Amino acid sequence: MVDSKQSVTVKERIQGFVGNQTALLILVLFILSGVFTALSGGSFLSTSVGSTILTDWGSYILLAVAETIVVISGGIDLSVGATLSLSTVTAGWVLVNGLHLDASITGPAAWPYLLLALLVAVLTGLAVGAINAVLINIFKIVPFIATLATFGAAAGMAIIVSGGMPLQGPNDFGLINPLRIPGIDPKIFDTGLFSPLIILMALVTVVVGLFLHKARFGLYTFAIGSNTFAARAAGISVARHTSKIYLLAGALSGVAGFYAYVRLGGGSPSSGTGMELYAIAATVIGGASLMGGVGRMWGTVIGTLILITVQSGLLMIGVATDWKQIVVAVLIAGAVAVQTLQKKNGAR
Amino acid sequence: MTGKVIYEVKDVSKRYGSVVALDGASLRLHAGEVVGLVGDNGAGKSTLVKVLSGAHDPDGGHIYLDGEEVRWHSPRQALEAGIETLYQESGLAPHLTVSQNVFLGREKFVKGFLGKLGFLARKTMEDEAHRDLEAVGIAVPASNRSVSQLSGGQRQAVAIGRAVAWARKVIILDEPTNHLGARQAGEVLEVIKAAKKKGLGVIFISHTLPHVLEVTDRIVVLRLGKIVKDAPTAHFNGDTLVGMITGTITTLAADKE
Repeated sequence: MVDSKQSVTVKERIQGFVGNQTALLILVLFILSGVFTALSGGSFLSTSVGSTILTDWGSYILLAVAETIVVISGGIDLSVGATLSLSTVTAGWVLVNGLHLDASITGPAAWPYLLLALLVAVLTGLAVGAINAVLINIFKIVPFIATLATFGAAAGMAIIVSGGMPLQGPNDFGLINPLRIPGIDPKIFDTGLFSPLIILMALVTVVVGLFLHKARFGLYTFAIGSNTFAARAAGISVARHTSKIYLLAGALSGVAGFYAYVRLGGGSPSSGTGMELYAIAATVIGGASLMGGVGRMWGTVIGTLILITVQSGLLMIGVATDWKQIVVAVLIAGAVAVQTLQKKNGAR
Repeated sequence: MTGKVIYEVKDVSKRYGSVVALDGASLRLHAGEVVGLVGDNGAGKSTLVKVLSGAHDPDGGHIYLDGEEVRWHSPRQALEAGIETLYQESGLAPHLTVSQNVFLGREKFVKGFLGKLGFLARKTMEDEAHRDLEAVGIAVPASNRSVSQLSGGQRQAVAIGRAVAWARKVIILDEPTNHLGARQAGEVLEVIKAAKKKGLGVIFISHTLPHVLEVTDRIVVLRLGKIVKDAPTAHFNGDTLVGMITGTITTLAADKE
């Protein structure tokens, strides 16, 4: 990686450090957390607040995971947020209008409903992903436009299905409560970081990350994003693989929809509004290139955590909501500037 | 010098709308033979390459591999039948490592359940890529390096080494010496000679006529979609080859003998 050049200038040192993206991201995350903890009088990093923030933002991580794969393949998916809205609403619709759910159920009695909600949400996500795949690979519409169309359609559909009103879920699925394992001191789990919902999110992220970085699925994704022509020449069916990518992005958005449904205790048609921008921002901050071929799942997760930290931190120290968007914009611009520096450095 | 006919196209045609790109072209390639394919821009070289590599299904004509008629529906099919194609400048994915590129489309998996899920045997592929490239005379730095860190000459060497290592019957090289320095181009020509020794049929497409004259056994000249000359390389010299390509001459001295 590093050339053994004789004279290392200060600029090269900076570029070399910037080249180690993961280290840089983690450093940024620590600094931000520290600053907000100090400014909020210590409450920001307290475990209960931390876990609440993480629980609130879990669906953002899932959408960012979906976006990362699409971006590495050289595409973009603007429909992930709207797909979250639609799948959270369809899950609610099936439970409320289809099964006349009793909102007061809790514990094991809620599990069958839970599984059904997950299934419906994932199927809804897959359906949107399938439409994306068809628009992109059969009708040859560029991903930006194709997913812009499904973004609008899914957002509209979410309002139609829900009638514009949030659909009720059970009051307590028991999924956001701290996990209890018999025989283990419950105090360990009391931080709330080990709620079943967070574990589900973490598990999905790790599994998708492994397939991205260790398996053929990911290799082909990088290959297509790096040089579509070379991928095709090597015998990869680009259309088929790209279709899989958008299907996966849809399914993950569906899981995120389920997450939001459980977290919010119901399905609101506006729960995913604007989330695609955060997903893209987290992906780019995490080091993925919108040109394709570059990106890391770790980077995306840390990128999302940075966004979460900034957003919640600003909220906690009382900065008006309007300013948050500007800060996010600065973060994105900064991330892209770092990428450009890296490219000049030839670190990738 | 050369073996049996390994790959043959007979009377193939291809039109794009009203444009006739290829008009009844026939070509024979023997095992262990290097055939140069030359012609001006728009002469139909790329189209013929695409027909040979399976990227295009011709409108008419026949293709024979090892004496049996074949029809390609995709480059993958031709690839699996033993025909490797190296396209102009775009054979590698720059963000992948050398070994990932060498094994792209032919990955090796870890044993057991994870392998069935598509998990890759990275170390095995890195070692084998290194060995395979060395076997065709290419010394690459580390095979776990990203291709974007290699020089233009090294990239081309990896691309061609990959093709030679995998090819079982035929290798098609589209402008492999383009944009290379003299020394690097020389190395590529050495790899072509290695492929020939391996008994592969090689189709070498190039604008750099000295390279064509140096490395080929036979030269096929395309003009306006037609094959206008197919003769042993020894029958040409630099001037007659240019004349043939541009159309200022139509017969060679050797033709009259």
